[in-house]
Amino acid sequence: MRRTTQPIEPVRKQRQVPIPPERAFELFTAGMGRWWPLSTHSIAAADATGVRFEGRVGGQIVELTADGTEHLWAVVTTWDPPHRLVLSWHPTIEPEAASTVEVRFLPVEGGTRVELEHRDFEELGEVGPVARENYDPGWEPVLDRLLTRAEAST
Amino acid sequence: MNEPAAAGPQLAALADPTRRRIFELVAAAPSTVRAVTDQVSVSQPAVSQHLKVLRDAGLVVGTPRGASTVYRADRAGLEPIRAWLDSLWDDALDAFVDAAQAQRDHDPQREDQP
Repeated sequence: MRRTTQPIEPVRKQRQVPIPPERAFELFTAGMGRWWPLSTHSIAAADATGVRFEGRVGGQIVELTADGTEHLWAVVTTWDPPHRLVLSWHPTIEPEAASTVEVRFLPVEGGTRVELEHRDFEELGEVGPVARENYDPGWEPVLDRLLTRAEAST
Repeated sequence: MNEPAAAGPQLAALADPTRRRIFELVAAAPSTVRAVTDQVSVSQPAVSQHLKVLRDAGLVVGTPRGASTVYRADRAGLEPIRAWLDSLWDDALDAFVDAAQAQRDHDPQREDQP
């Protein structure tokens, strides 16, 4: 097997927070504009003013900016409060080439464990088996997003 | 932005859509310059130049085969980008934890709920 066909390992993270799943889920989603580090992790950087998170399947996550321009970050594909959330993360260039972010909220003693996985391959299955076979998809949607941000930072 | 410093050369190399397309092609199948040129709408010298940029960024390696060179993607070159993504989520989730902590601290009457 060619080395280049091996997928990049998904990014997996977890954190524990001292609030119950219902509130953790709400803060993560509807409250995203209150905690997301916009000044460093956004398209408009210093001009970013907030995040609109539409909590429903098909809802959008949109970065709001000072001049009224909106930047689409993601679309909600699974909405299962307060347990699980899946996002199709597709910034700008090629909406069909989205990576996937899944967030799970697990009740634990004293609060909630939040598990996040950012993976980049499976959703491209929608493009079809031919594309999947001829295409090494893993990095590209990630790159599109990172490039958007890197360009915004210059 | 959080400076993706370590990933800078790779991000810069892939910022050009044609170059990204060329990278896709050699990632899908190791290819010669000629084979790549057949699949993109730029000249063979332009393809060679794009491949040079990708090679300099560590994203592509070339192996001589007879009179030509076969290029393939070097996945190791993508690792800085993944590492940057990894740090991005660390930053975001740390901020989320801080916000959750603050919410509990400022809303103690709900803390006692089971």
